[in-house]
Amino acid sequence: VARVSARRADLDPSLERIRGGAPAANPNVRRLAGFASVHECPTAAVAFAARVDTNRALKGTPYQMPFGQSPFAIGRGYAFEKLLRQHGHAELRAVLREGTGFDFSTAAVHNLRDGFPLSTPGRTMRAQVTRDQLRQVVTHPDELAIVDGAILPREIGGVRVDFEADELAIGIEGAVLVGENKSWPVVDGRPADPDALGSALDQSATYVLLAREIVADEGLDPSLVSGDALLITPRNTGLSPVLHRQNVESRVSRIERLLEGVPQVGDITRSVPVDVTFERVADMNLEADARIDAFADLTDQVGRRYEAGSCLTSCGFAWACRACEFADAAPSLAGERAARAVPSIDRLDRVAQLGAGAPPTAGEAPVAQELARAGRLVDEVFVAPPRRRRSA
Amino acid sequence: VNATLEALLASRVHADGRALRRTTLCHTHLAEDPLAVVVWRLGGERFRASAIAWGSVGGDYQIAVAGEPRNRDLYFGALLPFAEALCERVAASTGAYEERASPRSERVDRIPTGAQQLVVANRTTVEALALIGRYLGYLSDRSGVVPDPRLLEAGRHLRFYTRRTRVVGQSLLVPLDRFVAQHWATLLSPVEQANLASLDAQIEPHPGMHAFESSASAEATMVVGPEPTEELDRIAMTLLQDFNAARGRSTDIAVVEPLTAPIKAHYRALVDRDWDLIARVVERERGLTEAPSVARRWEDDRRALGRHLEWVVTRGGRYRTLDTPQQAAMTLRSLEEAKRRYEAECAIDDPALMIGSLLDGDALRGQVVEVDDSHTITNPSGRNVRRARLRLRSDDPVVAPEGKRLWWTSTAHDDPWAVIDVHQERTAFVVELQLTAATRANRLPAVGERITMSIHHTGRDAWPMPLPSDPPWTHMPAGAAPIIDAIDAGDTESETAPVLSDAVPNPETLS
Repeated sequence: VARVSARRADLDPSLERIRGGAPAANPNVRRLAGFASVHECPTAAVAFAARVDTNRALKGTPYQMPFGQSPFAIGRGYAFEKLLRQHGHAELRAVLREGTGFDFSTAAVHNLRDGFPLSTPGRTMRAQVTRDQLRQVVTHPDELAIVDGAILPREIGGVRVDFEADELAIGIEGAVLVGENKSWPVVDGRPADPDALGSALDQSATYVLLAREIVADEGLDPSLVSGDALLITPRNTGLSPVLHRQNVESRVSRIERLLEGVPQVGDITRSVPVDVTFERVADMNLEADARIDAFADLTDQVGRRYEAGSCLTSCGFAWACRACEFADAAPSLAGERAARAVPSIDRLDRVAQLGAGAPPTAGEAPVAQELARAGRLVDEVFVAPPRRRRSA
Repeated sequence: VNATLEALLASRVHADGRALRRTTLCHTHLAEDPLAVVVWRLGGERFRASAIAWGSVGGDYQIAVAGEPRNRDLYFGALLPFAEALCERVAASTGAYEERASPRSERVDRIPTGAQQLVVANRTTVEALALIGRYLGYLSDRSGVVPDPRLLEAGRHLRFYTRRTRVVGQSLLVPLDRFVAQHWATLLSPVEQANLASLDAQIEPHPGMHAFESSASAEATMVVGPEPTEELDRIAMTLLQDFNAARGRSTDIAVVEPLTAPIKAHYRALVDRDWDLIARVVERERGLTEAPSVARRWEDDRRALGRHLEWVVTRGGRYRTLDTPQQAAMTLRSLEEAKRRYEAECAIDDPALMIGSLLDGDALRGQVVEVDDSHTITNPSGRNVRRARLRLRSDDPVVAPEGKRLWWTSTAHDDPWAVIDVHQERTAFVVELQLTAATRANRLPAVGERITMSIHHTGRDAWPMPLPSDPPWTHMPAGAAPIIDAIDAGDTESETAPVLSDAVPNPETLS
């Protein structure tokens, strides 16, 4: 049933109309993580459901954000993966043995990256092998096995997405462990990039959740999929791998809530006005101003929630939304904390008026007194003649 | 920082069209001749700078470009002039030494009268220098070749300087993004404040442009190192491929040096912009008077540098790469104390920085309406002692529980006052406070004086109790004790080939 609905959604002409020729993006775990940070924004939700590539929709305007990855960084990642797989996965077996204490030298390795077509049928076959292996090992806990490139399908908001896990290391103490390879180094036990560690653990937690759902679907105990994730990274300056084991149980719960919160494609199709489309936003034949105007109109219709901290790091529309917020003189420009301090005031010029002592409306009264006091204190320091320092 | 104050300042920046000063004083020491350092890396390569530039702020810079920074010989060869310059400048900056009793122990500290200050564009550069320092400071004799001692010493200096940035209020290594964000109110969120070009554009917008538009334009057009964009690394990739093809496997400086010219030109163009930006920002901030407490913190910095030089240069020592549990606990405590003291000193020095405390209820300001310097109490040992009381009238609402300790800003290094009572008289609030120490004239404000009382105090909190030399098992690492460890084992590996993003298939696709 899920697959049928997914295909229906995929072909839904309403979504095609909403996308309106804007560049399309297939959901993947990175995009999902990005959406997780901005999922309360109606425009981001519509774009995610309609599979609009927010990173490329504004190409050719000053509002396109510089997303992308250095070829050196990608090359390093490729080289690290290759190192783990070469010579019959010798390095991978060694690092698993060293990190878990179990002998993987004779473990079966099912490399699903080779021998399967890249097409939809190929991924479906890989998903079936992954499912078979999960069932096999959970019911035969004495056998160690590794699934390299496991495919974990899941319906998200009515669309089927195939997630690819680097490794499922199976059979350790009768449990299934999810493994993820990352090419950033760990030095003195600490990641060189703490933010990247958080993303990697979120990614692993997603795979733990999906693996549990498959195991449960097979009528088996989902708790056999461990809440610990295995992270394989280079140690120090080279690519020599080292394994880290980290519990991601709390992240699994958060991601489960997040996935449940992803709006259904069908609901979005029904709720969005019929004239909402990214067509003019993405039309490279139009001037940049016309495209940002079209974007502003669209977000005004659908709704927009700009939070600098999450949007600027996760959404390709962030600069465009920021420009809209500036045009609206929105307090969110200065960050979430500042915006939350003036909840009943939606324009910065009004904040300035209240800070200068203008009489508030009833709705503004709770924050007006504090704003007026702040304005007076600032004026005392910067406008009034300087005081003796002892008065601070 | 108080959120209401942030919103108010943002509204004024929005109205004025340019950033506003949020302080009346400069709270970081700016040395006469700081050494600016600019780093650029290849994406994903965290231990090696593809270009490193250094020089006096506002002057010319020197640049080191290895060509292929992932080759150890080429990298070290290129880096050596930087290492020499850093070691020389650090050694030369100290001047004479003065001897002072250590505030922490019975030892005598030798404090240099000067110290080399480093200035970088942002905190990302600090992180980059920290990794380079970790790498160079602990090099092994790989392939039987002993690394140049100047590289080792420079690495240890970088490690010291970057670790020092954990001390809030230090001025030995100044990341300008943080420095500017502390001294200016802008329309930038905390995430955006990491971009020095954006901050600068909000302070001095392009003619005819609002601060917001100017910073958005700067953000889109100017990348500040060390992290390259995909676009920049695509250019670097082509240049490196040409360079590697031309040099074959040669690492001979005479052969390689001329071949680096195109790569140098690429990075010079990037460094030029960073360099001008750093000079402009530093010059602008020099216009602000230094806060009185900066001198104390700068002395702490010099004291720390003196200890570092004695350990590393004089004694040839190395630092642990991981703290022991005891070190970690003591370090955390001293960092927390440094932060508290810095915030207190800033608020007491600078009336603009006291505003947040007033709004948060951590400070109160009013007029002294009565001082009773003959008030006596019976202390716990049964003696009658004089403890002055005062009454303060404030026009602003005051919420303070009985017993709350507040310091008068003029005696913030001394003992506090305790709140006895708060009540409202018509529209004003009257606060009664009692001194917690013996009554003396210099501890008392005059009637009619307008004073500020706050939670901030500049004296030390209680002296830390010594920790047990043998920590309990709950505080011991599970494995073996950490050792001082070289991290250059991967230097013999061959360089990885770059891969363009267009060539990467997305396996996680829709069915």
